[in-house]
Amino acid sequence: MSQENQPSRPSGQGRPQGRPADTGSPRISRVDASVASPVKFFFASALLWLLVSSVLAVITAVKLHLPGFLNSCEHLTFGRLDAIQRNVFFYGWASNALIGLNLWLLASLGRFEFRNGWIATLGGLIWNLALTVGIACVLIDSHNAFELLELPRGVALAFFVAFLLAALWPAVAFVRRPTGQVFVSQWYILGASFVLPVVYLLTQLMVLWCPTNGVLQALVHSWFLQNFLLLWLGASALAAVYYFLPKELGTTLTGYYLSTVGFWTLFLFAGWTGPATLLGSPVPLWIQSSGVVAAVMLLIPLTITSINFFGTLSRDSGWTRAWNNTTLRFVAFGLVAYTLAIALQIVFSARSLNAIVRFTSFAAGQQQLLTYAFVSMVIFGAAYYILPRLTGAFWPSAKLVHLHFWSCALAVVVSVAGSLFFGWTQGAALAAAKPFAQTMQPQEALLSSACAVLFLIGHVAFALNAFGMLTTCSSSTEEARQA
Amino acid sequence: MNDSYRPNDRHRRPRASNDAGTEGFSDGRLVEVHHQLANDKEEPAEGFALLPVIVVFLFCGFGFWAGLYLTRNSDGFNPGSFDLDAPRALVDNGPKEFEPDPVKGEKLYVTNCAGCHQPTGLGVAAAFPPLAGSPWVAGNEERLLKIIIGGLAGELDYKGTKYNGAMPNVGAGLKDAQIAHIATYVRQAWGNAAGPVTDAKVAEARKAVGARASYSPAEILQAHPLEIK
Repeated sequence: MSQENQPSRPSGQGRPQGRPADTGSPRISRVDASVASPVKFFFASALLWLLVSSVLAVITAVKLHLPGFLNSCEHLTFGRLDAIQRNVFFYGWASNALIGLNLWLLASLGRFEFRNGWIATLGGLIWNLALTVGIACVLIDSHNAFELLELPRGVALAFFVAFLLAALWPAVAFVRRPTGQVFVSQWYILGASFVLPVVYLLTQLMVLWCPTNGVLQALVHSWFLQNFLLLWLGASALAAVYYFLPKELGTTLTGYYLSTVGFWTLFLFAGWTGPATLLGSPVPLWIQSSGVVAAVMLLIPLTITSINFFGTLSRDSGWTRAWNNTTLRFVAFGLVAYTLAIALQIVFSARSLNAIVRFTSFAAGQQQLLTYAFVSMVIFGAAYYILPRLTGAFWPSAKLVHLHFWSCALAVVVSVAGSLFFGWTQGAALAAAKPFAQTMQPQEALLSSACAVLFLIGHVAFALNAFGMLTTCSSSTEEARQA
Repeated sequence: MNDSYRPNDRHRRPRASNDAGTEGFSDGRLVEVHHQLANDKEEPAEGFALLPVIVVFLFCGFGFWAGLYLTRNSDGFNPGSFDLDAPRALVDNGPKEFEPDPVKGEKLYVTNCAGCHQPTGLGVAAAFPPLAGSPWVAGNEERLLKIIIGGLAGELDYKGTKYNGAMPNVGAGLKDAQIAHIATYVRQAWGNAAGPVTDAKVAEARKAVGARASYSPAEILQAHPLEIK
């Protein structure tokens, strides 16, 4: 994914700088200062959860080929740890970071100074407490049998309240922006901030609180998953891409006038793609088919984002400059991954292809491509840009930035490629009516363990750097205040 | 408004779209320039003059395909079909459980029968015999069906009253299921307490009636004598 950048990389200047490009002095703008504490809180907690998630990922990956590993008590069995890892990654890492990122982006784009930032921080506090309690419940007791709804029902209410508290400010920032002008990132953030609470609440109601009958439950759940992945995580990350590309390249977006259509079509079709993940299940045929149609119609937003992003990057040696910029290196990696992920989703919603990979690790590979190679990489890039501006400090070590990028990029490329490849071969073997045991490949588990360790190394490097900066900054701003 | 606190914002030219400096826009400039771009579609530096036209045609094509795909692959929006590859015969003639429905039967009765036999099922004295409590209705279902499908004409003696009417073959114009609903309703309304009638029975009776347009009471009673007087 990142290879296409490599040949054009001029030797000598290919190092991402361990500091933001355009802040000569570590001065914090007023807008940044007003959101600093909630955004820092969200990013710091996201980072902690990321570490937890990567340690758990290593444990679960090892368990896949050494089943006896840490199997002495029921709390450490694969099912629980796997569910916890997933929830920590999505609600702890990705959601925390995106709430913080959205807050910062809307404040910056709206040039809005927050008065009561503590309300957002309170939301973050509730969010993280609820997540901790939920995980403890899963660890001690048991969990619901729906992906990403595993946490106990009460946690959902706390999440909802916390999100309203934290996302209230983005809405306020948008409404009270000083000019009537709107930038595409603002639409995406508002859309995402609207989708998450509504979809989450409705799904909780229809799946857990008052369960609907039979197949409708699965249908609602698939609807939730697609909305969560594409319209909460995906749209929030797209907002960041739309912001950082022109911002860091200093150019306008190519075909910007098309981005309205891209926004509306993404929000129109992405929510409908749920049934396409249920092909072959006893869901009425017309619902399955409308899922397929919606998935194929994602071609429209995909075309538009491709024109916007790749058009911008291919002008004025944009790829080279993106490669030499820490933030843009991550962001460009992410948007190539986004394009691949959506393209795969479109192609593999075709019934004949879907039938082959349906019950294999292929879907896991697709999900990782979207949620890690796209969303997480964009968040990393954004963090490299935002945190120095919030703290007024520089990244302590450029080497750690390098280590972070290369280990994460390598790990995600290998891991996604492995899942896709082994998923495809296993699906083909199953289609040829081979017994299930013969279709399993032990290399897959080994590969995913190796990748999990690589991820952990990258994340530790990132965390060291970030916490180093967050701690030095607090002392330096103290000094600045006194001076 | 607060961007002036950033060191680089002061000397940025108002039209920032073509300067490819290493520094980015200020946030305010970013929003402003793109706002202009969205409203002013003639961006001279683009070189993509055909793009909007191509995009519109492409998207119309997607929409057209979507309509085709949806109509071809959803089996007429039938909520009961789940598998595209299921054999057609299974979907069309598969085991369908028929349930005679007295509620539907009542509606059909009101439109087709109540004109003579009355909504109360009591008929009209000396013209149209009653159905309520009648052994003609509650007894053998084949007799009832034959009368509905074939009609009944001739003199009839029921509980001491002579009826000389000509019931048209109402059932010939109705579907099996509809007749089954009506027969079930009639057999269970107004204090009647006979079993329901299935559409399969109706089909049998229709075969037995054949092309006949009318029965006489004597014929019917000969084939299916009344169980109780």
